[in-house]
Amino acid sequence: MSTEKRIQERDVVIQTIAKLMIPFIQLYGLYVMVGTEGAGGGFQGGTVLAASFILLVVAFGVDKGRMKMPEGWNAVFKSLGLYLYAGVGGLLCIIFSLGKAEYLNYCAIPLAKIIGGPATRGFWVGNIVEVGIGVTVMAAFVSIFYDLVRKEEKKEAKE
Amino acid sequence: MKKLHLLPTVALISVILLGAMFMYVVEDIPAFGDPNSPPNKYVPLPISIDADGLADSLDAGVVPAELKSEIAEIGYTRENHFPSLEEGNYKIDKTEEGWDVLIMKEEKYYPGPEKWYFIKEELGGKLKVYRYSIPVRWQEKTEEETELPNMVTSGLADYRSYDTMYEEAVIFTAAISVIMLLRRREKL
Repeated sequence: MSTEKRIQERDVVIQTIAKLMIPFIQLYGLYVMVGTEGAGGGFQGGTVLAASFILLVVAFGVDKGRMKMPEGWNAVFKSLGLYLYAGVGGLLCIIFSLGKAEYLNYCAIPLAKIIGGPATRGFWVGNIVEVGIGVTVMAAFVSIFYDLVRKEEKKEAKE
Repeated sequence: MKKLHLLPTVALISVILLGAMFMYVVEDIPAFGDPNSPPNKYVPLPISIDADGLADSLDAGVVPAELKSEIAEIGYTRENHFPSLEEGNYKIDKTEEGWDVLIMKEEKYYPGPEKWYFIKEELGGKLKVYRYSIPVRWQEKTEEETELPNMVTSGLADYRSYDTMYEEAVIFTAAISVIMLLRRREKL
């Protein structure tokens, strides 16, 4: 049984509801992920975003899912999120203070000279660190889901 | 075919650079339980009284009445949800630098002594009182130190940022392991 046939047999109700819901789920994921005044944080927002892609795969099949969220980009996003946290923040602190500042001490970033140290810490934590966490969590969960889906497909093809 | 090789190469290079970054950073992590790291620093209280005669009392394991009234005067009383310094409720440990005052926690299931005050004799013969209690300090200072309205966010990503960073690294490692175990084909 090929993948193409199984997609055509899917329910039109599921596909329509998924089409309606996915944009709102992603918007909600971004709302949870970015900013500090609402509930949640990076881990929760990333999980909600990953759930939207999983819903896409469940409704439309894994081929369309791979078209919307390619695996190469998944690998890039996984590293990019950790970079935003560990790499950019840490490297900026170390480079701009010539190795004097502690690692992850955001007051050493040049932005602190413009808006002050505490405001820099708040901005960095709320808008960059949390987004980095969310991007990594989203890409990791989607990538694990793709790998498990492929295993099932191979089994069906053998039968 | 050239376009297909671009993304895996970028991904591989970024993974290698990230590994090198972590190896560099291991040198920079503060030791666990370091008393000078930001979450463990003492909070000085606006108290300083003459030390003559009080040091002997502290050595004997009793907080003198003058010190108790000073502590009550700055608002550290039972009505404001601070632990009280009643007799038998606390004990004093003498350390090299001063005296640790340990007060019993008012909890039903896990009672036990908790470090609350740190009393130190300054050079001019004055007693200075400091305070431990990381959660209270965190609650009081988070607005001033990070300008974030949300205490949970600053705790997660600023005060405990090493913890969160390595949690993220764990998830990253899990995804890489699943790729290595399950994804067997020519291109990444």
